[in-house]
Amino acid sequence: MRGRGGLGALGTVGVALLLALPWILSQGLLNASIQMLIAALFACAYNLLAGQAGMLSFGHAAYFGVGAFATVHAMNAFGGSGLLPTPLMPLAGALAGLIFGAIAGWFATQRTGAYFAMITLAIAELLHALAPHFKGLFGGEGGVSSTRMPSMGVTFGSTTQMYYLVLAWVLASLLALYLYTLTPLGRLTLGLRENSHRLRFLGYDVHKLSVLVFSISAMFSGIAGSLQVINNEAANYIVFDAGQSTAVVLNTYIGGARVFLGPAFGAALMTFFGYAVSDLTQSWLLYQGILFALVMMFAPSGLAGLFGMPDRLRRRFGTAAVVPFFALALASIVLLTAGTVFLVELLQRILSQDYRALAAGAPPWPPISLFGRQWSPAAAVTWLLPAAGVACGAATMLLARHKLALLEGRQEDTAAEPRAIEGERTPA
Amino acid sequence: MSEAILTVRGLRKSFGQHEIIRGVNLDLLADERHALIGPNGAGKSTVFHLISGDLAPSAGQIVFAGKRIDGKPPQQINRMGLARSFQVTNIFPGLTVFENVRLAVMRAHGLQYSFWSFIDRNAKVREHTESLLEQVRLQQRASAVAGEMAYSEQRSLEIALALASDPEVILLDEPMAGMSREETAYTADLIRTVTRGRALLIVEHDMEVVFQISDRISVLVYGEVIATGKPDEIRNNAAVKEAYLGEEVSR
Repeated sequence: MRGRGGLGALGTVGVALLLALPWILSQGLLNASIQMLIAALFACAYNLLAGQAGMLSFGHAAYFGVGAFATVHAMNAFGGSGLLPTPLMPLAGALAGLIFGAIAGWFATQRTGAYFAMITLAIAELLHALAPHFKGLFGGEGGVSSTRMPSMGVTFGSTTQMYYLVLAWVLASLLALYLYTLTPLGRLTLGLRENSHRLRFLGYDVHKLSVLVFSISAMFSGIAGSLQVINNEAANYIVFDAGQSTAVVLNTYIGGARVFLGPAFGAALMTFFGYAVSDLTQSWLLYQGILFALVMMFAPSGLAGLFGMPDRLRRRFGTAAVVPFFALALASIVLLTAGTVFLVELLQRILSQDYRALAAGAPPWPPISLFGRQWSPAAAVTWLLPAAGVACGAATMLLARHKLALLEGRQEDTAAEPRAIEGERTPA
Repeated sequence: MSEAILTVRGLRKSFGQHEIIRGVNLDLLADERHALIGPNGAGKSTVFHLISGDLAPSAGQIVFAGKRIDGKPPQQINRMGLARSFQVTNIFPGLTVFENVRLAVMRAHGLQYSFWSFIDRNAKVREHTESLLEQVRLQQRASAVAGEMAYSEQRSLEIALALASDPEVILLDEPMAGMSREETAYTADLIRTVTRGRALLIVEHDMEVVFQISDRISVLVYGEVIATGKPDEIRNNAAVKEAYLGEEVSR
């Protein structure tokens, strides 16, 4: 009861905040928000297949891309009027995603597990390899461009108008995806993940179900691709790139595949970091990889699962008991991040071609400018400082884990007695 | 006695060079409780896999309600009215017990590709689910995660899943394995109740249960049925005694 009411209130505040963003953010950040929303929808569409149905697709860029190209051609064909005015343009992407998803899904879902993943990967790579050769359809290297036409009395010329168009489609799609989870088909989707073998002995046609879920996931991916094209007014075959397929997998699992909005959160966060950090560092992909590896190793339920932890622990042990643990955990994360970022940036600069040319010059190993200071690669402090950061961070982390173990130990002592009694009570 | 609802003739199954099922003949009458017993490795579970469509036979016929079902996919066989449980617990481990049974019940109410109605609002499905949970005494565990329950509770869930489609023929593969005496007694009663007016084919190692609930017993040894008959006939059958080396049957 508390959870549902709380979530409802949180959802209302969230939507209100999203609606107010154009008044709060600069143009640049609003543009980034559009990207975040599109990535969020793509990740949620992907998670229907990967997280809910348990089918790990490695080629979801294909359906995003098919939706994108269908839309760019629809924009050119209809010019924003007639049957498909600009605000309804994502329907073209949805339809294309659905149809292509049904065809690809029919083949891919013949197999499960690793074989399924390989087929999806192959289909996406096939498109990526073929696309440049079909100039009429995919426009070759230059891609296909179009113009967002005014429609229904709206110009769709400003970033704000575009933002609202994307927001409306993303919210409607997320709502549809959420309601889907409450339907019989939505529950069967979880059954596919949990035990598709058993479903067959309950009378379900697992292949048909899988194709259906695959198509629906592809349809919403197509809508995401469509929104990107409407925003960019162009589509290029690089949308089929494996990097795009990888990104949606990483976003989904970093966010948390078992929580409905987890993937949306992961995608928005990673897109935002990509936007904010890519100017500051050339190692963004490395950080993304490190983050993914850490989440998979230490928080397999993703960041969304991690966010639920404070509340869970607080309810179990009381606020006062968990504060020291969280203070330590936070300090450890800050230290580890600072140390790692320092090391990565330092190494990235030392290994860069420019610096290697310099290093071979007259005074060898000239100092490197980093975080507003000069650091000499020959000086011990340059290396000891980040190393100390990482070491202290690791030590603090161990301490935090020890604290948590102590808390859990105490909990078990007090709980041991009633649990034993309960265990003895066999059903009469 | 009534007519056979399930007829197995000359059933064979080979895995590579090894023939596991070597010409099984079996008749299951429409309202009988029929036990399939035999030493470990005799092929009892394989017979179940062949009948339920998990495996396709190498040769032979399986006729269910007048139609050939050998080699048909399991979902088709299930929809014709034949449901089964599994020896190795085969449930939806990450879902709640309620959700497990509801998934099984939905299909019986014609719901599968439906995405235009909310399942929580379907009173018929809910009531059917709850009554099944009550039958197998899991109503208190409805919100437990199935995979985290005690093994014996998972066995009860397994039975509920098999019953959900209201089948004419039920195949239960060692339903009591891992259950306590009390649970076994309850489940034996349950099986007797729910199989009234249906056909039951059961594999079970607990001979007390087998002789208590069965109308007829077939003995499978090395992929062949060596005897079929009433419990008393089987108890006194020389070939059966030999096959078991006097172990379980005489106990």
